[in-house]
Amino acid sequence: MLFTVAWRNIWRSKTRTLVVIGSIIVGIWALVFLLGFFEGQVQNYMGNVIQNETSHLQYHHPRFKDDFESALVIPNSADILEELRTDAEIKATSERIVLNGMLASSAAVQGVMAIGVEPLAEQEVTQLDNKIVEGAPLDPSSKNQLLISRRMADKLKVKLRSKLVLTFQTATQEISSAAFRVAGIYQSNKRLNDELYIYANISDLRRLAEIPGSAAHEIAVVLHNFDEVEVKTIALSERHQDVLVENYRQLSPDLELMNSQIKINMTVMIVIFMLALIFGIINTMMMAVLERMRELGMLMAIGMNKGKVFLMVCLETLLISVIGAPVGIFLGFITIEILNRKGISLARWSAALEEFGMSDLVRPSLDASNYVLVAMAVVITGLLASIYPSIKATRLRPVEALRKI
Amino acid sequence: MNIPIIEIIDLHKSYTETAVHVHALRGVDLTIEKGEFTAIVGPSGSGKTTMLNIIGGLDRPSSGTIKIRGNDISNLSDNQLIDFRRENIGFVFQSYNLIPVLTAKENVEFVMLLQNRSQEERDARTLELMQAVGLADRMSNRPSELSGGQQQRVAVARALAPKPAFILADEPTANLDSVSTSDLLDLMANLNREEGMTFVFSTHDQRVIDRARRIVLLEDGKIISDERK
Repeated sequence: MLFTVAWRNIWRSKTRTLVVIGSIIVGIWALVFLLGFFEGQVQNYMGNVIQNETSHLQYHHPRFKDDFESALVIPNSADILEELRTDAEIKATSERIVLNGMLASSAAVQGVMAIGVEPLAEQEVTQLDNKIVEGAPLDPSSKNQLLISRRMADKLKVKLRSKLVLTFQTATQEISSAAFRVAGIYQSNKRLNDELYIYANISDLRRLAEIPGSAAHEIAVVLHNFDEVEVKTIALSERHQDVLVENYRQLSPDLELMNSQIKINMTVMIVIFMLALIFGIINTMMMAVLERMRELGMLMAIGMNKGKVFLMVCLETLLISVIGAPVGIFLGFITIEILNRKGISLARWSAALEEFGMSDLVRPSLDASNYVLVAMAVVITGLLASIYPSIKATRLRPVEALRKI
Repeated sequence: MNIPIIEIIDLHKSYTETAVHVHALRGVDLTIEKGEFTAIVGPSGSGKTTMLNIIGGLDRPSSGTIKIRGNDISNLSDNQLIDFRRENIGFVFQSYNLIPVLTAKENVEFVMLLQNRSQEERDARTLELMQAVGLADRMSNRPSELSGGQQQRVAVARALAPKPAFILADEPTANLDSVSTSDLLDLMANLNREEGMTFVFSTHDQRVIDRARRIVLLEDGKIISDERK
């Protein structure tokens, strides 16, 4: 009966209750959408980092990344590669030579990171060819071709087929130079990368840097299943103990930073939402309690004890709080599903997003645990909001409450 | 010897309201036996309401003793008083004070629910009481669908539901027309005569005073006359 009374009580002022429930629905919908949008951004960033930079895993000489010394190669790269290519869990691999150097045109000089790749294998891993906006992909049968970014081309004031000179350190610690021609111009969605990376055929860089054919600086690995990354990192590290095997998280610590930053943002939003909701609900329930002072006084007069009065007002508050939750969560879910398919275009801010290596299409998504979190936040909010009005109700003295008109 | 239903000994009550010290009851002694039909009357400010509140366990005396069925309730805690009221006192209020969201049946049933009575017992007693107050056909109506007189009869049924020691009625006819007043008084008089239910009213209403069998007149916080007809 207490539940019945509480349920009917909340509908005594239909308009007021509907307004509160409506605002809770809108609040939850907005919260779910924002959480989904943030998570979509994290995935966008992470997807771009994995796609363009780190892949799922990378192999290096344990000290190579300290200062990118040409001599620090993976000596048995060919063997490792062969082994990886027979692994059913691995989708694609790309072997690379990485040289720190200077790229000079007749007009300017630019510090670069020259990446020697096998074009076909690299296409499987980073879809490098898809970023080409002018010219053609690297041709393994042609010598000394380069892929440079649009930004690099502008800085060096060069065009397709222009000649450039790359100066670098060989594996034998010599400084060497070689002339290259621009075969293609690419554009990625990360400015910093565009200003740094140039691509050449691996055979050219290997030959010029005097690195044996069986060795390389880097092997990038893409797995079939993203969820296996952590386990696979451990397995491969154990299998190849003389080299360093790292996954995308270890390779790109900023990913973790962004992840935690976004989590903090999400938590702050949930807390702000809860606070706004708590005060809204308390306000409504206080009105409901103060309006019913006589009635509450009468209930206590005829023998309803304070515990039951407390419980009744708690139930009313909780009901008002949670009725809207499923609707709000469902609307948020639908919105996220639709926008996940269509994507939200942030083309207007693409220049700014490029700085961070994010594409301008965000696909909001939210995993089930976050929906549960929102639902729990609403219930906790309802419980917290119910305390004050319920205490207020039990503090009424029937003899005074009954005198109120 | 019968234990009196209500026994008041040297009751004093004073309080301060808006900086004015009010001495509402100044040494009241009163004993009400089972089956009495008593009206407490007196002008405004005579202390009727204060006395009724103390008899009903809604307020505590400043000094003196109030015993209901031999139990001293002067020093019970708030929660003990609530439990005591639920088991021993039936209230009928001037403005009915039914629970607007419950039907007539549910209103009558409500106190029994608070007493944790079984569903069968509640159903049987509710039907019996609604028949007794002549509203068996209005069980599923909400208070807003009933006239004032009907609401007050539901309130009487609700007051009787927990089988209290007595019914305390604060100006029960103040909002009723003469026909409803007469019906209500008939109902209460019947319950008093046939079931021996004890009634204590506070009233200004001459029609109630005329029907009462004992009239206690209060003035300035003291009983100045106590007549049995």
